[in-house]
Amino acid sequence: MNLTQTAFGLSLTLCLAAALAALALPRRARPAVAGALTAAAGASAVASGAAAVAGQGWSAWYPDLLPLLGVRLALDPLGGVFLAVTGAVAVCAAIYGIGYTRHGLAGRGVQAAMPLFVAAMLLVPAAAGVGTFLVAWELMAITSLLLVVAEHHRRAAAGEAGQWYAVMTHLGFAVILAGLAALAAHAGGDAFDEIRQAAISPVAASLIFLATGAGFASKAGIVPLHVWLPRAHPEAPSQVSALMSAAMVNMGVYGILRVGLDLLGGGPAWWWLLVLGAGAASAVYGILHAAVSADLKRLLGHSTTENMGLVLIGVGAAGFFAASGSRALAALALVAALLHAINHSAFKTLLFLAAGSVLHATGTRDLDALGGLRERMPYTTALFALGALAASALPPGNGFVSEWLLLQSLVNALPEGGVRHAVTMPLAVGAIALTAGVAIATFVKAFGVGFLAKPRGEGAATAHESPPTMLAGMLLAAAACVGLALAPTLLLPYLAETAGGVIGAPAAVTGEVTLRLGGIASTISPLLIACWLAAALVLVLALLRVFAARRARREARLWDCGAGPMTARMEYTATSFAEPLGRVFDNVLRPESDIDVIPAKESAYIVERVRYRARVADRIERRAYEPVLAAFAAAGRAATRLANGSVHRYLAYGFYTLTGTLILLAVIA
Amino acid sequence: MTDQTYVQLLDLACGAFLLTGVLVLWRRDLAAIVRLFAAQGAALAAIVIVLGVRQAATELVIVGLALGGLRAGLLPYLIRRALPERGGPDAEGRETRPVVNVASSLVAAAVLALVAYAVAQPLIRLAPSPAAHALPVALTVLLVGFFVLVTRRRALSQVVGFLLIDNAITATAFLTTNGVPLVVELGVSLDVLFAVLVLSVLTNRMRAAFGGTDLDELRELRD
Repeated sequence: MNLTQTAFGLSLTLCLAAALAALALPRRARPAVAGALTAAAGASAVASGAAAVAGQGWSAWYPDLLPLLGVRLALDPLGGVFLAVTGAVAVCAAIYGIGYTRHGLAGRGVQAAMPLFVAAMLLVPAAAGVGTFLVAWELMAITSLLLVVAEHHRRAAAGEAGQWYAVMTHLGFAVILAGLAALAAHAGGDAFDEIRQAAISPVAASLIFLATGAGFASKAGIVPLHVWLPRAHPEAPSQVSALMSAAMVNMGVYGILRVGLDLLGGGPAWWWLLVLGAGAASAVYGILHAAVSADLKRLLGHSTTENMGLVLIGVGAAGFFAASGSRALAALALVAALLHAINHSAFKTLLFLAAGSVLHATGTRDLDALGGLRERMPYTTALFALGALAASALPPGNGFVSEWLLLQSLVNALPEGGVRHAVTMPLAVGAIALTAGVAIATFVKAFGVGFLAKPRGEGAATAHESPPTMLAGMLLAAAACVGLALAPTLLLPYLAETAGGVIGAPAAVTGEVTLRLGGIASTISPLLIACWLAAALVLVLALLRVFAARRARREARLWDCGAGPMTARMEYTATSFAEPLGRVFDNVLRPESDIDVIPAKESAYIVERVRYRARVADRIERRAYEPVLAAFAAAGRAATRLANGSVHRYLAYGFYTLTGTLILLAVIA
Repeated sequence: MTDQTYVQLLDLACGAFLLTGVLVLWRRDLAAIVRLFAAQGAALAAIVIVLGVRQAATELVIVGLALGGLRAGLLPYLIRRALPERGGPDAEGRETRPVVNVASSLVAAAVLALVAYAVAQPLIRLAPSPAAHALPVALTVLLVGFFVLVTRRRALSQVVGFLLIDNAITATAFLTTNGVPLVVELGVSLDVLFAVLVLSVLTNRMRAAFGGTDLDELRELRD
């Protein structure tokens, strides 16, 4: 009995205990007890995952738990990485949830579904059999669906988001089920160990990869299967948004890695070019939509699509390099992908929790109605700023390190690769560069418009700081961001071992302060960069202080064109800030705007009111999904004619079916 | 009991079973339909008792007697209580406008009997005994019961149609096997009893609410 097993068993037990406590305890004690137990479960999962990454593998088979197949569990380093990330996100979200759910979300259902959701997400990377994996996956889908619709009494949008999510996640489950069932059938066994040994024909393997890949990509919010994500993630309670956006989407990446690289053993290069292409498209499309979004949580949801796109670029590159023989580069790309997934989990947890605090304090997620939160919510503002810095991938943020690693692996592929490399890699690099640029604009908008300047709405003007438990949850996530930014070197050797184990190559990244890449001359030292930046900042401030002190300070009113005091209506709004971007990317985004001009009575020249409305619809949704939905609705309307309310008609359907079948049987026999 | 007597008695009981089932289609008076149903219950009990005596199985005879008590006595009594009182509007006590008229219904019953005969052949080949040869009779009654459900408008005719199906299922079970265990038969009978109780209450409620039991009056209730 090693640490991996003990801690994993403990975390599952704690999750169940939290769910039971949520069902049994009275309303007042419920959030605190369930939240504390879930946080403990998360911490235990982190310990288990860390032990697994450090090499303490574990596997078990419980034949009696599920009929026919039994439950197979195993933790290897790859599973351990995802287990630890999920556990860490669960700790932050659960502590935050104690304060967040006290007002209005303390119902039995929500409180009990949350630990079960965490348990399901812990089970997915630990599953070592097709049956176990599918059960855990479906449990994850159902519990998260319950949480998404938790607030449907208050907002009709939550119900609609729930419908989209339910349909998309179950279509995804259906293709994953088909793919994995076919895989088990071809391999002649349910256990992952048997599948790894089996020889599977290339055509079957490709079909399995495409089917499961589509399902996993949908869970990760990859274009064009992303339409549910910007609806469902914002509508869930904020700590659930964090869990979904920072932990659940990772399971899609995990699925692609597990099935593609591990169970099917790599496969041809075109699989991975497909993954890379989908990742690049998602990264660009996601961040463009985030840039023009005026809803804070929806913006973060689109940004999740972007970051999962970046992770998939790394995964695709890793598979592609491995298929074309350059294993060292493949391992590097995979390390970059894993590190970016971890970084994204850290800052997206922080950002969603901070957005939840804003929603909690102001009652709105609309950036155009926010602003001026810096004075009333200083801690939340500082924490959101930290998260925004990390998300925009600038040094010294943590997102920078992983994107730098990713770019290194792509750029260095050029000299040795063939034509395919020469075409693909520059495009991928371009996509990452464009993404990074737009991401900066996006998060400048989110932070600047949302938190600085004057309040634009009633809610923002009367905002208040969040309770201590919510701040504690955010602080933990912020600490993870800072740690990952300053000392990724503590983590990277383990990730490099993990990636090397999956690819079959030596560790790609070494170094304690300065990172050295295997076979590539580039180095980077995040800690030194941060120190230099801090030193430069101190120097600039000191110089300013020195020079500014020489001149006397003078207070004056801001120049306002002589039109009286400036009001909040003169500020940039999120919509106006993003307007130029919308124009530049007009071909992709196609923003729709209409202007109503209402003239005053008896005069065509004096305008009484002008109303401007702008909306950026998802073009993929409009082109690909709406026709299908319309066809289904039409078929449903046509079918209502079959049911006219007459009991006799309904009975007659049954009678004709029965006699028809009997006659058919008699004729055949 | 000699073989010949056994076969004759069994065929007699099965014939009565089939005849009562088909005659339900012929009569329009609800009271007469309930009497026919009671007679069919007696025929069913006779089938089971004949089988029990033939196999010298006391338990089967007891099951047969209990079946007779339930289906020829208790169930018809319950249905009769839901019948409209005499002296009320005449249309309520009669099946005035069935969806398919009586003559066509009888022709349909003949066609259904042919279908049942054709379908039962593979089953009979499995174990060709005198009891199995009577299987088409049970299947015919099943289809006729379904036909009654589809084509009759009054709620009570529907209840009788449902019970014809149930009688036919019971008959099929006893004809194809060497007797159904007492526990199973008890369970099924209890279910049927409850169903009839609920349905007769519903019928009375319908009459109180709508003044009639024509099911097509309920058409407005759909969403």
